Amino acid sequence: MTNRDTLHKQEIFSLKNIVVSGLVLFYIIFIIIPISIAFVGSFHQWNPLKGTYTFNGIENYIRVFNNELFWSSLSNTLVFTFVVILFRIIIGLGIALILYSSIVRCKTFFRAAFYMPVVTPLVAVSFIWVWMYNPQMGLINQILGTHNNWLVNKDTALGSIMVMTIWKDYGYAVVLFLAGLYSLPKDCYEAAKIDGASGVKLFKYITLPLLKPMTLFVVITSIISYLQTYIQILVMTEGGPGTSTYVTSYLIFDEAFVKYNFGYASAISFIMFIVIGMLTFISFKISSEKGGQGNE
Amino acid sequence: MSSKAVIILAIGLPLNLQIECCKAYFKEDIMKRFLSIFLAVTLLMTLVGCSGEKEAEKEIVNDTTAEKNLPILGDNVKFDPNILINNGEPIEIEFWVWDSKEIFQSIVDEFEAIYPNISIKIVSQAWGDYWTKLPLSIQGGNGPALFSVHNSQHDNLINNMEPYDIDIEDLKADFTGVEGHVIDDKVYYIDYGMMTGSIFYNKDMWAEAGLIDSDIPETWDEFTKVAQKLTKKDDDGNIIQAGFNYNSDVKSIIMGLNYQKDQLLFKEDGSTPDIDNKIMNENIQFLIDLYDEYGVGSKDFGISDAESFGQGQSAMVYKWGWYYNQLSNDYPDVNFGVFRTPVPDENVPFAYDRYNGESTIGISAKADDASKEVAQAFIRYFMSNNEALKELCIKYSIFPSKKILADDEEVINHPVLSTIKPVVDRLIWPGPFPGIIETTLQQSFEDVIYNGNDVGTSFANGNKKVITDMEGISFTSVEKKYKHIDNK
Repeated sequence: MTNRDTLHKQEIFSLKNIVVSGLVLFYIIFIIIPISIAFVGSFHQWNPLKGTYTFNGIENYIRVFNNELFWSSLSNTLVFTFVVILFRIIIGLGIALILYSSIVRCKTFFRAAFYMPVVTPLVAVSFIWVWMYNPQMGLINQILGTHNNWLVNKDTALGSIMVMTIWKDYGYAVVLFLAGLYSLPKDCYEAAKIDGASGVKLFKYITLPLLKPMTLFVVITSIISYLQTYIQILVMTEGGPGTSTYVTSYLIFDEAFVKYNFGYASAISFIMFIVIGMLTFISFKISSEKGGQGNE
Repeated sequence: MSSKAVIILAIGLPLNLQIECCKAYFKEDIMKRFLSIFLAVTLLMTLVGCSGEKEAEKEIVNDTTAEKNLPILGDNVKFDPNILINNGEPIEIEFWVWDSKEIFQSIVDEFEAIYPNISIKIVSQAWGDYWTKLPLSIQGGNGPALFSVHNSQHDNLINNMEPYDIDIEDLKADFTGVEGHVIDDKVYYIDYGMMTGSIFYNKDMWAEAGLIDSDIPETWDEFTKVAQKLTKKDDDGNIIQAGFNYNSDVKSIIMGLNYQKDQLLFKEDGSTPDIDNKIMNENIQFLIDLYDEYGVGSKDFGISDAESFGQGQSAMVYKWGWYYNQLSNDYPDVNFGVFRTPVPDENVPFAYDRYNGESTIGISAKADDASKEVAQAFIRYFMSNNEALKELCIKYSIFPSKKILADDEEVINHPVLSTIKPVVDRLIWPGPFPGIIETTLQQSFEDVIYNGNDVGTSFANGNKKVITDMEGISFTSVEKKYKHIDNK
């Protein structure tokens, strides 16, 4: 073997190639192959417990689109996602601005305190909030002086879960917005102050536009996360009362792991895959357009 | 002083002093390494400590003695221990359970004492994991030879189950309800006990309300009056003690109410669910009226009936036999009693309630012949072991299907079983119907009581949903095999 061959062989087995190959292999084994199997399975009547795997064409997809529960679940999912993201951003940005200001001491402590709910396990938080919403002994009713049965009233059940989710996740936005605020160039503010801009105008014309990339990042990651919400539904209401708090991920869980209709659940999953992909694409498009406009 | 001596001394000191010692005698990088190794060793020991004890494995040897001079057990289903199994050669099989490992272990120990060449290893899995792991492993051919069965999973198991090598007529002679389990002249499992619902009541609340034993209601009208006496409200009219609570578990009571009024769960064909009918609507309205009209409870008070009764908030609940154990274990301070579920009037109803059977043990059809031989022998031993069967029945508050145990003193005196005995002949079994029927019943009821939808519409939608969900599930009801079906 010549020196050139030896060198070439060393290049093939370089650390870089090994790591990249490992990543590619990981994605193929744990993402591409399972997704492909699920996609093919969505065209079958598939029950792994009974060992049935019968091709039925697009029957699963037709059944999904004809299923009222799918549409109500999708509606709940979109409402849930929109409301939680909105409040996550408003509360997160508001608290970040307060923490960024000079009036707050012990910023590190508050930053950690606001982030604590984010790192607390969602299952544990959900259980605690179930107790807080208890109509007889719950903290919420005691504080508000009400007797509401928050989690089994169709008017308040989904909203109650949203409140819990907002409480748990706003800290994520606080930390990100705070990092964004610290990275903003000071000279823009100085120039604006020289031009006579006040606090509100500074926020509206300087802070907000400069924070847009961070805001869009929070929105995009939140969309991807909340469109797949199901743990809090599973723990807090199990989709009830009736089916009024079903979301699409919970519907997929119900069909796959309660009824073992893997084919039907796979069909719903792929429809959601397309929905999430489209929303993410739109978000990226808006992001790049805004970025392009900003660069003009 | 040497560094080793410092380490030895430091281990015995409080943590802060340990650190100070280390700082005094070590350079920072060596100290970091020491602390890292210490933490790693501590973590490793913690993990080792957390691992379960490995059970001592039984030593199995050849069995060379066929004639063991042991008595033959059983009445019609007999077990003759005076044989060799697997030609006396050593063999080990697995037996999967989700509960009662101790009781099954004692039965296994007795069986193994007879056959020194056999080892049956009991593997216990949590309920949720059990019903994914078991069907998949049996299908794959590497599952246990023996396994506990629940009939709600019938559809997922039956294709991989081996029929019993026991004469069906012998089974029928010893056990009730065998007929419902016969499939093409074969039996894959039967019920060793029957569980049904009863009313659990708080005796202290009963006495406080001035009620005595003779006030125990037999009809729903009497029940309503008693429940009203047991209900307490505050000055604002809010319930502080419910006379009767059915929240979160209407699915359990509603089928029984329907059977009391001649309404079957399935249509004529035996496969199509029928939860959209006049009797269902009547009974749902009755339950709603108990809260809204008679004020004996509230949909917003005690959202879990089981927990509410245990916490002393509700005076009466309708629960199945398993609740007796839960109360005894989780709420030992509750002074409770049990009485039979009331009926519409003084006449004997079509059925007092439905029952569900606790199933005997299943055999894997994919096990090898030797394992199947052991499994069949063990099943026969289990079915003819009256003491073991009784112990299981008492533990789960289920009425024994084995006829000879029906008059056993322990059974007769059990608080739950004593209510079942007089009516055991009038309990109907619909068959191992899929769990989605109960789920849909509960969701449809919640649509009415919490979402304010019309009873008829909710249950009509529920009926459509459950029919769709049952497509692809091969199930035929055994309601028509009910002894008193002609009384409908």
